[in-house]
Amino acid sequence: MVYCVGHNIISPLGRGSKENYESVKAGRSGLKRYVNRFADVEPFCASLFDTPQSFVSLCIESIEMALEECHGTIINTQDAQAVFILSTTKGDNLELLKPAQQIAHYFGNPNSPIVVSNACTSGVCAQIIAKRLLETGIYQHAIVIGCDLQTRFIVSGFQSFKALSPDPCKPFSPDRQGLNLGEAVATIIYTREPGEDNQKPAFWTLQAGSIHNDANHLSAPSRTGEGAYRCLMDVMEGFCPADIDLVGVHGTATLYNDDMEEIALERAGLQNVPKSVLKPFLGHTMGAAGVLETIICAMAAKDSNNTSQMLQVIKMLSGFGGVNAAIRIQCE
Amino acid sequence: MRVTHQIEISPTSVVLDGQTIVVEAVGDAMLVELYRRYVCDYPKFFKMDTLSRLGFVAAEILLKETKVDAVILANRSASIKNDNDYLATISEGRYYPSPALFVYTLPNIVTGEIAIRRHVQGETSFYVLDKPDDLDPIIRATMSNDLQSSNLQTVLAGWVECSEPNRFNAKLQIIWNN
Amino acid sequence: MEQLIEQLKSQIIEALNFEDMTPADIDADAPLFGEGLGLDSIDALELIMLLDREYGIKLSDPKSGKAIFQSVRTMAEYIQSNRTK
Repeated sequence: MVYCVGHNIISPLGRGSKENYESVKAGRSGLKRYVNRFADVEPFCASLFDTPQSFVSLCIESIEMALEECHGTIINTQDAQAVFILSTTKGDNLELLKPAQQIAHYFGNPNSPIVVSNACTSGVCAQIIAKRLLETGIYQHAIVIGCDLQTRFIVSGFQSFKALSPDPCKPFSPDRQGLNLGEAVATIIYTREPGEDNQKPAFWTLQAGSIHNDANHLSAPSRTGEGAYRCLMDVMEGFCPADIDLVGVHGTATLYNDDMEEIALERAGLQNVPKSVLKPFLGHTMGAAGVLETIICAMAAKDSNNTSQMLQVIKMLSGFGGVNAAIRIQCE
Repeated sequence: MRVTHQIEISPTSVVLDGQTIVVEAVGDAMLVELYRRYVCDYPKFFKMDTLSRLGFVAAEILLKETKVDAVILANRSASIKNDNDYLATISEGRYYPSPALFVYTLPNIVTGEIAIRRHVQGETSFYVLDKPDDLDPIIRATMSNDLQSSNLQTVLAGWVECSEPNRFNAKLQIIWNN
Repeated sequence: MEQLIEQLKSQIIEALNFEDMTPADIDADAPLFGEGLGLDSIDALELIMLLDREYGIKLSDPKSGKAIFQSVRTMAEYIQSNRTK
């Protein structure tokens, strides 16, 4: 088990986790229709920043804001006990390693950064590898950053797949037409042991994580939800469905993804557990999605908890290459 | 952890468990030669990008008699060679984005190709790292017995890199947990 | 028509990377998906792109491809009556 001691989100909905959470809670959406944003591409609907952003600067800003929130726990980024883990699919104009190195260098970190490139599951997979590296004692702290910015490359590719909805997406709706892309950066700081003078308890603890491949098709999810189902069963080990308080689903609003998730959730007995789906507010933020959606789900769970009981929250994702991932976090 | 089998492939050589395999072709054509010699019955191979072909033939040669629980690969330049091929289909004035190329613009697709062929329903992960040694702590942490609920016994792990046509290298291993 | 069918076979072989296959290997009346050539959903999207690139035909609804992509012949017939270049 590892502790989240700080987090941050910067998206078109706001700067800081709190602003983003409040916006989503108030029902605000970052989705807009774009006609001439990129040459040649058909009009599309997405959640984009108003002005072009620098990938590296955006990540640095998010990390700095997350570090400021680490009440009581001193995270020294120059320490060899800290590691930077970047979750992204297309990085800084197709460069993945370079921006990670620039970020780690900016914070004076001596270790080689890790880039997780496991398609749209990367943000959850990055937290899973952080947990493993911390629990085996290889590192003490992990700074997990998820970021993707939209480009002509990505939008044209998803359009060639006929995967984009021209209108705001409708996850799990029978008349859903596809997904909307989104831009965001999100950071979570995990540590093995939060500081003793910790004024605030840890935001949450990361309890379990699992990754499974469908071994079925590169771009279409399994019809039986096999990989996602196995991930859910792994992270629920020792718990029954009634113990789970919230599931943050992927809910891209493509025909096949949402069907697959429904099947996997039902097979795992989670059909009656409250779900959270965030794509209608923030779009599909690709490498950022797993990090960003974990933060919002945790905040929503804490916000609605009027008992002193610990809540169990699952975040699940699926992506190209047949890969599925899930984590279970525990929050107060 | 112990390594039971290892394969190294460069554009001019193939070394399996320390023994050189004699190949006639070099570069991309060599991967096709390896496919014809060791696989032959999987025409989807021809649809793959070079990175996937490289990882796929390396895995096929290594996994002849072994089932693995997970596939964990890494490289330095992600899917850049195929990214550039896809970019050529969306050049200004000749904009016909190719879905068949776009699907390979993610480096983890090679792990998916291996998983489909070998029915690996365990973990598949792809990391982008500075150098092959950086994968070692990741593999150690992933295979640690205390952590895994689904107990990883055997993992196919290693480095698959392809930055330009005819320029690639791979070093894949079968690693056992005891 | 027969000339268009032969041309289309070559274009399909190239677009879908059927190494070692010649137009003579493709039966113009055999199903493209499932049995026959065994194409999948990504191939279908690639064929939609081929129609656009080579014949100026835009298929916006991928589902309409089902009838068109039954065989090389049905594809050629559709091209014959809908091509813009």
